[in-house]
Amino acid sequence: MLVAGVDIGNNTVEVALAQVTEHKTVFLSSGIAPTTGVKGTTANITGVKFAINDALKKAGVDIKNLDLIRINEATPVISDMAMETITETIITESTMIGHNPSTPGGRGLGVGKTTLIFHLDKVKPGEEVIAIVPQSVDFEHAAAMINSASSRGVYVEGAVVQKDDGVLIANRLNNKIPIVDEVAYIDKVPLGMPAAVEVAEQGYTIKTLSNPYGIATVFKLSPEETKNIVPVARALIGNRSAVVIRTPAGDVQERRIPAGSIVLFGEKGRTTVDLDEGAKKVMEELDRIYPLHDAQGTAGTNVGGLLSKIRSTMADLTGQKPDSIKIQDILAVDTLVQQKVKGGLANEFFAEDAVGMAAMVKSSRLPMEKVAKIIEEELSVPVHIAGVEAQMAINGALTTPGTAKPLAILDLGGGSVDAAYLTADGKVKTVHMAGAGDMVNMLMGAELGITDKMLLEDLKCNPLAKVESMFSIRLEDETVKFFDSPLDPQLFARVVILKDDGMIPLPGNLKLEKIRTVRREAKKKVFVTNAIRALKQVAPAGNIRLLDFVVLLGGSALDFEIPDMISDALANYGVVAGRGNIRGTEGPRNAVATGLVLSG
Amino acid sequence: MISTEALVDKVVNEVLRQLKSEGIVDSPKVKSSNIASQLDLTEIGPAKQGTVEDEVIIGISPAFGRHFQENIVGVPLKDILREIAAGVSEEGLQFRIIRVNHTADVAFIAHTAAKLSGSGVGIGIQSRGTTVIHHKDLEPLNNLELFPQCPVMTLDTYRMIGKNAAKYAKGESPEPVPVVNDQMARPKYQAKAAVMHNFETKYVKTGVKPVELSFTFN
Repeated sequence: MLVAGVDIGNNTVEVALAQVTEHKTVFLSSGIAPTTGVKGTTANITGVKFAINDALKKAGVDIKNLDLIRINEATPVISDMAMETITETIITESTMIGHNPSTPGGRGLGVGKTTLIFHLDKVKPGEEVIAIVPQSVDFEHAAAMINSASSRGVYVEGAVVQKDDGVLIANRLNNKIPIVDEVAYIDKVPLGMPAAVEVAEQGYTIKTLSNPYGIATVFKLSPEETKNIVPVARALIGNRSAVVIRTPAGDVQERRIPAGSIVLFGEKGRTTVDLDEGAKKVMEELDRIYPLHDAQGTAGTNVGGLLSKIRSTMADLTGQKPDSIKIQDILAVDTLVQQKVKGGLANEFFAEDAVGMAAMVKSSRLPMEKVAKIIEEELSVPVHIAGVEAQMAINGALTTPGTAKPLAILDLGGGSVDAAYLTADGKVKTVHMAGAGDMVNMLMGAELGITDKMLLEDLKCNPLAKVESMFSIRLEDETVKFFDSPLDPQLFARVVILKDDGMIPLPGNLKLEKIRTVRREAKKKVFVTNAIRALKQVAPAGNIRLLDFVVLLGGSALDFEIPDMISDALANYGVVAGRGNIRGTEGPRNAVATGLVLSG
Repeated sequence: MISTEALVDKVVNEVLRQLKSEGIVDSPKVKSSNIASQLDLTEIGPAKQGTVEDEVIIGISPAFGRHFQENIVGVPLKDILREIAAGVSEEGLQFRIIRVNHTADVAFIAHTAAKLSGSGVGIGIQSRGTTVIHHKDLEPLNNLELFPQCPVMTLDTYRMIGKNAAKYAKGESPEPVPVVNDQMARPKYQAKAAVMHNFETKYVKTGVKPVELSFTFN
C-alpha cells in the first residue's frame, strides 16, 4: 500500500511517501512546499498538492497509485507578536547636536557665542564665537571669512556646518578649530547663545561634552543646573563629535512612555507587572504563576494595545470573538529600537528601549476535517486524520539513529517552540511556547532598522563576510578566503551574506560586527530561552537534568548556529542534545510526516 | 567603404536641424565661459605609479579643459573637477589629477587612473561629464560605479562621486551614489554627445603616456 504522510506546518508542508506492507515500511521519498494560507484552513490545499507532487515526482510514482494520505491533527496553536518602544528621547530648544557625522573637521573643544558666518565681520575683536555656516556658503568662502575674522582678533573657536564640508574648511584655516558638519536643520540653531563644539581624534570619542562635569565647567553651571544637563551628556556618550548649546530652558529628556502593566492569570494565582520594569521581570513573574490561563494589558496603554492587537489577529484567524481568546503563553524580550529623536537638528537617531512580545493562543480545534475533505475531493485519494502532532513528531524523531525511549524533542519552528517528552512506558507530554523564528526576524529588524522581510530571513539564516579586496573576503571568524577570479564589483568593500548560491551585498551602513551581535543575541533571547522553558515543563519533575536525549527538529533546527547555542545551554544540565536526522537521511525535517506513515 | 565619421556628422547635423525647427534645443543661456571658469591645468611631468595608499587618482580625457571648458549641459568642467577633488579631500584622502592621452574611452581612462593609484581606486571623467569609479583589479570594461547619464548629473553628484571613491579607497562600504534616470536624456543629447566624443577622439595621441597635472581649488 502506498501511503503519504502529510504534515501541514506554520511555514512548510512536508510529505513522506512510503510503501507499507504488513511487515515492512519502505520509504520512497520526501516532499516539501511552502504552506499556503494559515495552518489548518482550507487555503492549505494548494501547498499540500505541491508537496505531494514533489514527493511523487522524486519517487517516480503517479498519483493514481497513491492509496492513502494521512494528515495530522494539527496542534491548535497560533502565535503572534508585537513590539512597543517604552522610552523616547526629546531635545527641547535645540540644546544639542549629536548625530555623529563620519567626517567632522579639526579637533579639540571650542566655546563661544553662536554667530552666523555672514555676521563675523561685525564681531568685536577679542570675542569668542562659534561660526554657523549654512549650505549656501562654499567651503573656500567659509574658510576665508573665518580666517579674516581671526586675523582681526576675533576668536572663532569652532564651527557648525550644514554641508559635508568639515574637513575641507578645517584644511583651509590658519587656526585649527573643531567643526561639526552635516547639520541638516542649521536654520534652527539658536543664534547669540553660548555653545560648545567638540571633535575628538579619529578613533576616539569626545570627553568633555559627554561628561556632565565637563559641560558644567564649560558653561560654569551651578550644581542644580548640572543635574539638569545630565541627559545631554548621556545622550552624547560614544560620539566622535558634538555641539551643546546653552539655551534658557533647553533640555534633553528621556521620557518613559507609560507602557502600562500586564496582568497575568495563572494556575498559581494572578500577578501584575509594570512593563517599565522590563521583559526580564515579566518572564520571572510568568514563571512564578505558570501555567498561564490568560493575560491582559491595561486598556489605553501600549501593552494593552499590544495584547489586543494579538487578540484580534487570533480572533480573525480562528473565527472566535476577541473576548473568548485566552492567551496561553507569552515571551517578552528586551530590545533596542533605532528611533529618530524628536527636536533633533541633524536627524539624530538614538536607540530606545523597547519590549517585543510573542503570545500564543490555544484555539478550539482547527478544522482539519474540512481540510481533509477538500484534499480527498481534489486528489481523489482517501484521507485519514491520524494522531496528535507531538506523538507523530516523536515517532518520527525515533527514526534518528542513536535515539531511544525515553526521549524529548524540541520542535523549533517559525511561530512557536514545541517540546514533547515520551516516557519509557509510552506516555507523551507536550508543551508549546510562544516565540520562535519569526520573532527573531522581528527583533533583528527592529534593532538593525531593516523592514525588508526577505533580507531579514537571509540575515538570520546565513553567516556574513566582509569583501576586503577584489580577490578575498574576511569571514565572520576572522579567517580569509581567496578567489582565483575577481569578485563581482557590486560586492567590493561590502559586508555580504554568504548564501549557498552566492553572496548578497548589504547596504553600506550595516557593520558586520553589529549584525552578528544582534543576530546571535536575538536567537539566544528567543530560542535558548524557550528551549529551557519548554523542556522544564515536559521534563520529569520539572528537572531538565532528568532528560537523557533531546532531539532538535523543525525548520529552525537547520540554522547554522541555533542548534549549537541550544546544545551549549543544555550541556550545563548534562543533557545530550543534537539535531535530529529523521530516517537517517532527512536531517531535522520531515519528523511528523514520517511519524504519520509509521502510525498505521 | 563608408566613412563613419562623415556619416555621424551628417546624422548629427540633420538631427540638430530638426530639433532647432521644433524649438527643443535650448538657447545657449548657460553659455557664460568667462575667463574665471577656464581650467588652468599645468602639466608637471609623466604620471607616476602611486606609492601611498591614501590617494585617489582622477583621470581626465584628452580634450578635457583643452577643447572643452563645459560639460554637455554647460556645467563648467572646472567646477566639476573641483567638486570631485573636494569629495576626496573631505574624506581625508589625497588626490592626483592625470590626463590620459592614449584613449577617450571613459572606462579605460578610469582604469588607467586606478592602475596608477596607490589605493587602486581611480575616477575617470570625459569632457561631456560621463564618469566612472574604477578599481585596478577589475577588467577595464567592468567598474565600481558608472554614471552614464551625464546630462542629469549635478555638482552635488560629482561631490558624492569623489566621496565614494575615497571611501572605497579606505575599504569602507559606501552606498552607491544615487542617480536620476531621465529617459529623454538619450534622445535629447545623443547627437551632442556624439559630436563631443568626436572632438575628444581628435585629441587622442596613441602611445603617449598619461601626464600628471597641477590643480588648485581657486
